[in-house]
Amino acid sequence: MEEKIARLKKQAEEVIRQKVGNLSDLNEIRVRYLGKKGEITTLLHSLGEIAKEERPRVGQIVNDARRQLEDLISEKTAELKEKELKAKLAKEHIDVTLSGRHAWRGHPHPLTITLDRIKTIFMDMGFSVEEGPEIERDYFNFEALNLPKDHPARDMQDSFYITDEILMRTQTSPVQARTMQAHEPNSPIRMIAPGRVYRRDDYDATHSPMFTQVEGLVIDKGIRFSDLKGTLELFLQKIFHAGIGVRFRPSFFPFTEPSAEVDISCVMCHGKGCRVCKGTGWLEILGAGMVHPHVLEMSGYDPKQVSGFAFGLGVERIAMLSYGIDDLRLFYDNDLRFLRQF
Amino acid sequence: MQVSIKWLKDYIDFTETPEKLADKLTMAGIPVENVIRADAGWEKVVTGRLDKVEPHPDSDHLMVCEVAVGQEKPLTIVTGAPNVKEGQIVPVALVGANLPCGKKIAKGKLRGVASMGMLCSADELKLDLEGLPEEQQTGIYILPEDTPVGVPAKDVMGRDDVVLEFELTANRGDCFSVFGIVREIAVLTGNTPKWPEIAAKEEGDTPAADMVKIGIEAPELCARFSSRVLTDVKIGPSPDWMRQRLEGAGIRAINNVVDVTNFVMLELGQPMHAYDYDEVKGHALTARQAVAGENLHTLDDSSRLAEGGELVIADAEKPAGLAGIMGGLETEITDKTTTVVLEAASFAGPSIRRTARACGLHSEASGRFERGVDITGTVRALDRAAQLLSEMGACRVAPGVVDVYPNPVKPGRVFFTAEEINQRLGTDIPAGRMVEILESLGFAVGHGPEGLYEVTAPSWRNDISCWEDLSEEIARIHGFDNIPSTTPAGNVMMARQSDRQDFIDRARHILCGLGLYEEVSFSFTHPAMFDSLNIPEDSPLRQAIPIMNPLTEEYPLVRTTLLSSIFENTMRNFSRKNDDVRLFEIAPVFLPKSLPLTEQPDEVLKLAGLMTGRRAPVGWGQDNGPIDFFDAKGVVEELLAALRITRYTVEPGKHFAMHPGKTAAFKKGQDTIALVGEVHPAVAAAFGVKKKMYIFDMDIATLKRYAANKASYQALPRYPGVDRDLAILVAAETPAGDVERVIRKNAGPYFKDVTLFDVYTGAPVAEGKKSLAFALQFQSNDKTLTDEEVDASFRKIVESVAEAFDAELRA
Repeated sequence: MEEKIARLKKQAEEVIRQKVGNLSDLNEIRVRYLGKKGEITTLLHSLGEIAKEERPRVGQIVNDARRQLEDLISEKTAELKEKELKAKLAKEHIDVTLSGRHAWRGHPHPLTITLDRIKTIFMDMGFSVEEGPEIERDYFNFEALNLPKDHPARDMQDSFYITDEILMRTQTSPVQARTMQAHEPNSPIRMIAPGRVYRRDDYDATHSPMFTQVEGLVIDKGIRFSDLKGTLELFLQKIFHAGIGVRFRPSFFPFTEPSAEVDISCVMCHGKGCRVCKGTGWLEILGAGMVHPHVLEMSGYDPKQVSGFAFGLGVERIAMLSYGIDDLRLFYDNDLRFLRQF
Repeated sequence: MQVSIKWLKDYIDFTETPEKLADKLTMAGIPVENVIRADAGWEKVVTGRLDKVEPHPDSDHLMVCEVAVGQEKPLTIVTGAPNVKEGQIVPVALVGANLPCGKKIAKGKLRGVASMGMLCSADELKLDLEGLPEEQQTGIYILPEDTPVGVPAKDVMGRDDVVLEFELTANRGDCFSVFGIVREIAVLTGNTPKWPEIAAKEEGDTPAADMVKIGIEAPELCARFSSRVLTDVKIGPSPDWMRQRLEGAGIRAINNVVDVTNFVMLELGQPMHAYDYDEVKGHALTARQAVAGENLHTLDDSSRLAEGGELVIADAEKPAGLAGIMGGLETEITDKTTTVVLEAASFAGPSIRRTARACGLHSEASGRFERGVDITGTVRALDRAAQLLSEMGACRVAPGVVDVYPNPVKPGRVFFTAEEINQRLGTDIPAGRMVEILESLGFAVGHGPEGLYEVTAPSWRNDISCWEDLSEEIARIHGFDNIPSTTPAGNVMMARQSDRQDFIDRARHILCGLGLYEEVSFSFTHPAMFDSLNIPEDSPLRQAIPIMNPLTEEYPLVRTTLLSSIFENTMRNFSRKNDDVRLFEIAPVFLPKSLPLTEQPDEVLKLAGLMTGRRAPVGWGQDNGPIDFFDAKGVVEELLAALRITRYTVEPGKHFAMHPGKTAAFKKGQDTIALVGEVHPAVAAAFGVKKKMYIFDMDIATLKRYAANKASYQALPRYPGVDRDLAILVAAETPAGDVERVIRKNAGPYFKDVTLFDVYTGAPVAEGKKSLAFALQFQSNDKTLTDEEVDASFRKIVESVAEAFDAELRA
């Protein structure tokens, strides 16, 4: 009996270790030795034939052999399964260089993207966003900004007139006066007014009869020219990059006093001088100044109580400089090959 | 305005290079736009004497010249110019020259004769052709006989100068002169100007006042009119130095009298005019307003009829010039002029500006009057002009000035404290330094009441009316760079944008996510667009606002629909072979309350878009079939869903630019929230497009009214749902949306959702019928539904559609 067990076990182990090459062969072996009528199972059933006192010892031997075979089979099963999986994977592959499936990917207009960036920067600094009509009264567009009729500075902004008193606004500055007049006199204001403006300029690489402007206005007690400098420097560093050169030059706008043109160091040549900056190393980027006392007075604010600064910047200009676009007309052509790039 | 460095140096010393000076002026608010080097292209151009001129042996029109250019040997140069003669001195471009006209000079052979350079024409050097003898206009430029030979041509031809081109601001009329710029340079460099001594040497017995009568009838438009009379005038060319100064300033030399008036205007900033005394009827000049219909015959030999009110200078009979803008033709200085009346006056800027714009005449004079001219300077200008002309020997100066100045202007006073200026600027400039700056600029500073400084502006500064103006003067000389950078103190403010703006941002991002591109286009349109877009004759959209002064004929109107722009952009894309167009725009259209406009129009925010082309980008395995109506409708449905607009109905709609049978109207009660449809075949034809395009048109305010601001959470179901499919046959023309509505209405308490997943016509479905297949979902929040409960709901649905549409259940 014991001999038979040892022989069967050895036989089975040899076959499993050396002959079996796949899972179904292995299963056959399992059935042959360990199945319901398998040889080892049969041995277990025939224990009754041996002496009663021998039974526990022999039974133990049979059971041990059975367990060892089971372990071997499960070990072999794992080995074979892994082998089979490897073989299967070796046959399965696709051309991963083929393009994936695509839907149309839309884009906002680059001017919108730029304007959103500008808005975010100013809103982070506590500026609200105000709006005003695009077809505006001469009063708000010019007169309330200290630009009476026949003022030579009106030449700076050749206008599209609808009637003698109504025109396409030439700037977003009228929103200044509208916002002040909507506020309690002398109450603090911190606002930007983005929007489309219109000037009777020939349409070329740097001029357009319609463009986008952002007006800014801060009014409070004790607002200083130095605050204007600090605020605009922060903005320009955010929208372009930290460390960009910023310079303020004296200029003239009827609605501010003192007035400044603000330049940044050329983003193309970093101030060395190139075609874009006409060799000066500087690019004009916006106009600004301390709100003229007449402008405050005309909208019901008292220049003895409060002061303020205002600025106006061109969204196209900033977009052109940040993206390296050299022709303004691209914005209004709406060529999809252009729009897709942003 | 242009001023040459040489001219500036006549009056002030400075060591700065032109570029450095330009930078200093710019940073002090006197912007220099360009530094123009007059000698660009003149390197390697020298003076040469034609020692020998012989015909070319192999040509009947070329000449071979031996040219002395100060080198050891003369150069041989072949020329085709007919006006060369031996002994002439001419500008010679040597080999290697790169001329102002763009020509590059290299060694060359002309019909076998080697040519070592080129004799230059005026055109090749970009000289002014006017006033040159005819043969020199086409041939070689000839220099005076006494010109030294072999020297750089720029030195003897006045090209060794540098010109500053100023882009002056509208408030600084005082800087529109050499004197004005010199004053600024003096402040910036600390150097003292060397002003010329101005004094006219008067001759003769008859005082000017006996020769000419000057009058002012419109004192509000002409505050001062001063005049001198010059006798024994000899008209001729001005000396070279003056011609060069004028040329450097971009003004053409004409004759000595006219040149001197221009010179004085440039030098002092006071515009002047010279009249031929013998042509002035009645020897009287009066500043008055024109009578409507009066003929204004100006120097440019054009005649205009006065509208009435323009300021003119008239003689006893008629206007002799548009005051401050342009003189009259009849009293013009000619070669025959022997007696001259000089005018130096002060005219009101706004009136000059109005007239100049109305006539389309903008002159050096009008530009100065518009910005303001120093009213105290008229007599000095007359003296200067008389002095220059008499020094040239071109006239005698009649004794006395006729000066009509009824209401002399009193200088205004402004008060300031150093504290308020420092507070405005954010600086800490000592009061003493402020006073010093103001005084250097010509302001008189004294002590006023209550510790205030009292400031009187110099006569040439008409732009100072409040202490804030002084703060700018102090800031610009102190240097903007020297003002610190701070951030505003004060109240913390809550930044916000309007709900409408938030809504627009949302709509834009949703549409981009749906694969559409945002366009930005002009607010202008053309009336022909109305026809192309099929807008009905009586539609208010045809009532577009006309622009009084449109830029081009292309865009005379302000748009009333975004579709005009969307089609323009689509056509532009087609022409550039972009076939897959998916554009949208969110922008206002302008609807007048009445025309002509009496009040501001309604600005109505619209959202419109166009889709055409492939369903997906070109690629393997992509659906590259053309999009259809339902792709466009799907975009609108997704937009509405993402905007949280729900429970709308969809029905056949009407839109002028859409196919009448292929237009869907999304409705909330009576309000149309969106229209989407295939482009009307007539519209497509008007644009010459054969392929199918789909458009949508919406109104932002209406959309916003029905959009829920935020999502509201619904608890997730805890019990499983039950799905049932329903396939029915209905008449082919039955709208699926109607069937769906009936299903929803009759689906009972456990109904969750219905989706139409198949529409089928053709065998085995009978002719005139269609099969609709719906997926129905039932679910309860309280329990797991039993089959009986679902069956009951399903039966109810089947019965109701059978009744409403005569529908049969498909097996």
